[in-house]
Amino acid sequence: MRCFSSEVPAKNLRYKPERTRTGQVLIQDARFLRSRGRSVYRGCKQETMTTPAIDTTALTRRFGDFTAVDNVNLRVDAGQFFGFLGPNGAGKSTTIKMLTGLLAPTSGSIRVLGGDLRANSADIKRQIGVVPEGMALFGRLTADEYLQFVGRMYGLDRATTLNRTRELLEFMQLAGEQKKLITDFSHGMQKKLALAAAVIHGPKVLFLDEPFEGVDAVAAGTLKAMLLRMIARGATIFLTSHVLEIVERLCTHITIIHRGQLVAQGSLDELRAGAGRIGQAGIQEAAAPPGLEKGSLEQIFLEIVGTDREGNPAATASEQELSWLS
Amino acid sequence: MVELTGPERVPGSMPPIPASTQLLAVAWLRWRIFVNGMFRKRPKGKRQIAGLVFGILLRLIVWPMLALIVVGPVAISGFLAWMAISEGHPKSLASLLLGIALLWQFVSINGLSIAAAMQSFDPASLVRFPLRFGRYFVLRSLLGLMTPSTIVGCLALLAAAVGIGVANASLALPALVVMAVYALMNIYLTRMIGAWMERWLANRRFREIFSMLMALFAVSIQFMNLQRTPMRGPGVRSSWLINILHSSGSYLYWLPSGFAAQAILLVKHPLAALAQFLGLLASTVLFAAVFAIRLHKQFLGEYLDEGVSRRVQAPSAPRAKAPVPQSAALSAPAASGGIFSPTVAACLRKEWLILTSNGTQLIGLLTPLIFVVIFSMNRAFSAFSSKYFLPSAIAYVLIAALSSLYNIFGADGRGVQLYLLAPIRMLDVVLAKNLMSLALIVTQVGLAWTIICVLARAPVPVSVQISTALWTVFVVALNLAIGTWRSIQAPRKFVPGQTRQPRGGTPTNRTSALLVLAVLFGCMLLQVPVAIASSYLGAPWLGAWIFGPLAVAAVFAYALMLRSAERLIFAARDVFAEELCKA
Repeated sequence: MRCFSSEVPAKNLRYKPERTRTGQVLIQDARFLRSRGRSVYRGCKQETMTTPAIDTTALTRRFGDFTAVDNVNLRVDAGQFFGFLGPNGAGKSTTIKMLTGLLAPTSGSIRVLGGDLRANSADIKRQIGVVPEGMALFGRLTADEYLQFVGRMYGLDRATTLNRTRELLEFMQLAGEQKKLITDFSHGMQKKLALAAAVIHGPKVLFLDEPFEGVDAVAAGTLKAMLLRMIARGATIFLTSHVLEIVERLCTHITIIHRGQLVAQGSLDELRAGAGRIGQAGIQEAAAPPGLEKGSLEQIFLEIVGTDREGNPAATASEQELSWLS
Repeated sequence: MVELTGPERVPGSMPPIPASTQLLAVAWLRWRIFVNGMFRKRPKGKRQIAGLVFGILLRLIVWPMLALIVVGPVAISGFLAWMAISEGHPKSLASLLLGIALLWQFVSINGLSIAAAMQSFDPASLVRFPLRFGRYFVLRSLLGLMTPSTIVGCLALLAAAVGIGVANASLALPALVVMAVYALMNIYLTRMIGAWMERWLANRRFREIFSMLMALFAVSIQFMNLQRTPMRGPGVRSSWLINILHSSGSYLYWLPSGFAAQAILLVKHPLAALAQFLGLLASTVLFAAVFAIRLHKQFLGEYLDEGVSRRVQAPSAPRAKAPVPQSAALSAPAASGGIFSPTVAACLRKEWLILTSNGTQLIGLLTPLIFVVIFSMNRAFSAFSSKYFLPSAIAYVLIAALSSLYNIFGADGRGVQLYLLAPIRMLDVVLAKNLMSLALIVTQVGLAWTIICVLARAPVPVSVQISTALWTVFVVALNLAIGTWRSIQAPRKFVPGQTRQPRGGTPTNRTSALLVLAVLFGCMLLQVPVAIASSYLGAPWLGAWIFGPLAVAAVFAYALMLRSAERLIFAARDVFAEELCKA
């Protein structure tokens, strides 16, 4: 399908797109897209249904007697901006590590871009980009050197690597920091560099573990625009973030994991309607807690992860009284 | 904003990435890391001058030692190989090769934690790139070849080949080929052991067991030496280790060293030599295969971190507590720590908890005492002069204990921010850390003292005991003062008891290590003229008269250091942030 091979043709979009200076289509807001139809692109639906970008079956990971990820069945269609949410320690990063081949599952299978990850790890790794939890940068390189190294490792020729390095450094506003070692970068600068390294080879699937953590508002805006542009060009993005507002704004599909198990899956509308909840019988729609917009992702998230498997409200810290706090 | 050009589509079936591209990329990565490490931004001003002076001193001391360490084994190997062939002792050649291999592996195993700390990047992190396993195996085989044990081992084998060639020119070529394969065998053996050790050492309990085993091994060697090597007179010592090697006889021929030796010596019987050579090759392949099995597990995403033993806990029911009126809470006195202020007591408790959860450190505290027991039981050490034995043994115990004073904030890492943010005096934190160190030193020295007094063959004169006690106070106080200053000026993040340290982290950095050695050896050397003068003049209390004022001066210097600690830490906040708080 053309929409996965290159820029999305404007005529295929169901809304009037904004164009960049070079005439490329820029999709700004997934929420805007959702409000105009279930699919972002016409003609893509059939293929996205048949060839999932990520498909896991009974994915499980245990560390000793602790089950971090428990029997997870995930399906992420190609072209989706997929939000993967969960409270701290829910199993998000472990899942990403398994999906990117950095951690072997205890049991279950993973297929990425139609191929078995274990059997075709090199081919699949070549088509994915990752911003891992710890960023995994080589601190004693400069940003320029690091991007050149990554480009070469992904098989880009020297000229392409140099061009993309220059473009990415300028895009990420790191061009002025070329003499600095990465170890001397701020956290936000390291995040931007990690993201640049993750996209230098033009991946089909991008895994982002908390990409906006520590990134300033200006840079976050730039990154969001870039990610949406990648989606428009047919890439799939798998995002975890604790900033629910960003997930709500960007992601077309959302899955929530809690204590290693998937507890909700679907579009935001489906989650609002309670249709995507897994294994939680009879959750009563609660009134939004003070300060939260009713029907917002944050409210839905708190409803879901604040209940146990039977749907009973779990004890939360907010219920406990910290009388000594002023 | 810069516009990114449209990415080329990555097609489903892409041409394979040439191996040379990826291998060269990693070689270039190593080169850049090396170059950037060499020309890293250095501090300016006074710190630059101090760093320069220490750097020169360090090189003046370390380089000749390194040269000796390298030249010694290489020259000895060449000479022994020459002697084995020219004097017709083929078995000696096998023993020599076994000795080189044992030394090579022993140094490598002991250097694992140092190597991990010095690593500028983790080669295992390459698994995230689109590498095929074969390339990953090649990279892991090549990366880290420039370790001291590998360099010295390879040079020693080359020297042995040269020695063989000089003794018998017809053996020169086979010796070179066999030594090359034997070197490869040793490299893969090191890699295999390293990879499996890495797997086992990822577990804290195993690390502690391993530390204990290594300490026991060292102690056992000393103990066997004590039992099997009675003093027969000056210069007459039989080496039981060499005896074992000699008596091992034909067993050596079933080891790779035996295969290598026979492959060289049986060159006039080509089939027999070939069979031996194949034996050597087979052992090389075997070690490479076992190494590959381990690497393949890593490649597939093996979890190599601390074992997670978290259990999902049911959320506890909220406890009903009687509300404490805020005014009462604020006005209530803080929890008292007995004779210490609450801050000192809290910090002491934290240090104690860290110590008791770190088995490796506890073993490290215990090991010198075991050696003191062994030395005290050995007539050779304890009977030659009780006057010298006590101060020497105490100095030996202090060597390890004092080095921890030079990086007291290193184990706190980012946690040091809490100290800087909390409404406390940093003086209290420093005091608590020093008190904990002091308690450990006093315990160690006290135990060593008791052991010597109980086990030594001759009673230690009171004058020597007083002199040693004053000398100990002087050394400890001086090291506390310099160590605290150094801890503030040059902190270095490290994780206690962990093999893989963050970014070049070590419990004591190189300059601090040099300082410890300089201060300690300086203090020890100070004892020598005092002891000689004391004997010569027949003045047993001379040491006490000299070390007494020095001890008072050192304690005074430490008190001054404590007084300025607050100010110094405030001035060094950026250093703390730079060294301890960064990822």
